[in-house]
Amino acid sequence: MLIKVYNLTKIYNKKRGLFPTSFEVDSGELISVIGHNGAGKSTLLRLLSTNLLPDSGDAWINGINLKNRVALVRKIGFVPETPNLFDFFSVEYNLKLFARLFKIPFSRIEEIMKEFNLLSFRNSKIQILSKGLKQRVSIVRSLLSDPPILLFDEPTSGIDYEMTKEIYRLLKDFHSKGKTIMFTSHRPEEIKTLATRILVLHQGNLIFDGSSQKYFKSKTYEELYL
Amino acid sequence: MMMIIIKMMLKNIITLTLNDLAIAFKNRTMYLIFFIPFFIFLSFKLIDHEETSFQKARIGLVQTEIYTQIILQTIKSADSVFKIFRVSNNEEGKTWLKEKKIDGLLLMSDKNQNSLILIVLKKESYVTISIIQKFAALQKMVEGNNLNWISDIISLQKGGIQKQSFPIWILMIVLLVGFIIIPAQVAEEKEKKLLQALLQTPMREIEWLFAKLFSGVILTVVAVIFLQLLCKFNFGNIFSYFAFIGIGSFCFSAYGIFLGLLCRNQASARTLGVIFYLPHLLPSALSDFSKTLTSVAPFLPSYHFYESIKAIMFDEYQTSNLSFKWTYLLLVGFLTFFFSYILIKKRFLI
Repeated sequence: MLIKVYNLTKIYNKKRGLFPTSFEVDSGELISVIGHNGAGKSTLLRLLSTNLLPDSGDAWINGINLKNRVALVRKIGFVPETPNLFDFFSVEYNLKLFARLFKIPFSRIEEIMKEFNLLSFRNSKIQILSKGLKQRVSIVRSLLSDPPILLFDEPTSGIDYEMTKEIYRLLKDFHSKGKTIMFTSHRPEEIKTLATRILVLHQGNLIFDGSSQKYFKSKTYEELYL
Repeated sequence: MMMIIIKMMLKNIITLTLNDLAIAFKNRTMYLIFFIPFFIFLSFKLIDHEETSFQKARIGLVQTEIYTQIILQTIKSADSVFKIFRVSNNEEGKTWLKEKKIDGLLLMSDKNQNSLILIVLKKESYVTISIIQKFAALQKMVEGNNLNWISDIISLQKGGIQKQSFPIWILMIVLLVGFIIIPAQVAEEKEKKLLQALLQTPMREIEWLFAKLFSGVILTVVAVIFLQLLCKFNFGNIFSYFAFIGIGSFCFSAYGIFLGLLCRNQASARTLGVIFYLPHLLPSALSDFSKTLTSVAPFLPSYHFYESIKAIMFDEYQTSNLSFKWTYLLLVGFLTFFFSYILIKKRFLI
């Protein structure tokens, strides 16, 4: 078991957030977490990425407890909805900064920039890049330490059709390379052919956990989206 | 037609103005609009009223000095205005002055038989003005409009008004970095989720805090060195001077990080920064002009920093004479640093 989540809870203002949630994830799964706005999708991903502290419950990733952030961040690459990069600096500067913190040789930056076609933008400041390109830099940053698990929070939010296709192609590509992926979406149609498993959150509760085929035939799908 | 366009423009201007005011209210800038006048009003209340000048001035008389009888008797009889202290010699008197045990030291003038020399810590202070006023009033009562008894005033703190005011500028720099620059920087990292990104690396929270602290100290020290190079003032013992700049910048940078961590965005940090900046700057800087502020200001770490810099620059003090002051500053620094650590560990507003 790669990820084990047990009664993980985070509640904001006694109403919203994530109510006790438990599930397990095997290595190599491509999971889509779906639900309407405020369903608790981002909260779940932020908890697993150690960006948020849970109110109660626990989780283990690759056998490492959620409390052990310093060890855990090497196992998880988190891509937030809005790219959080140092705007005033170049693409290369941003990647070098994080490579230093991860103690990764700079040769890895060259390698990864080449792989993601970022070499021509290496000296461009983040603030002049399009949202799609910023998202690509953000993904590259999350891959620096080559983590086995990747978490994407609304990876296609606010980007055009072409870039959305590109992001889904990347997800498939990472999956084929053996990465375990969890990503959130509030547009289930888009992930029909992509996810191997779907988790549905509704008002902070996990109401569906199963395969993609099962989900699109289920009452949950009809009730929430049709 | 023209009227319609103007009307539409006015409507838009009003809408946008109201929106700006709503933003100012939302991001707490509005607090400053109320806070600044309230703070000035409070400072005025704390600055001495007229009656304060009638408080007793502590005057030192040298035992070996032969004072004119009429002056001596007048001073002694005015026990509601002066409190007399006897010092064995000039040097002891000066030490007492530096230690603020007395407000002024009286010596007989060599030039004129009936006149006095007043030695004070600082010429441009409310204490000096008050002593002069009291002497003038007493003399007028006794002798009418004769020549002033006090013919000369000597300040122990050397240098002109530029050098005298230098510690205030140093205090301003340290507080500006601590309360304005650092909180805004911390809040910006929170607002843009950059801190979140950094916490996605094996970096420890304490490392981030130390980095912020060091950047605050470096910025302050660079600004002070630059100012020093431009003004070229003698700053007393160089080790003590820079030790206090370091301790002060540590204290206020740690304070600033704590304030920044309390805010969700830069606008809030700016507001909170000013709310802390003014009460730390003004009472300390104005303490020379008001006895009431001198009694309130010691509660502020900025006052201890300001007093220490003054003592090092003008009275040849060293860190060893100022142990209470640097301990106090370090304590405030460590406390706020510790609270910042707790906030970041709890992911407060991150």
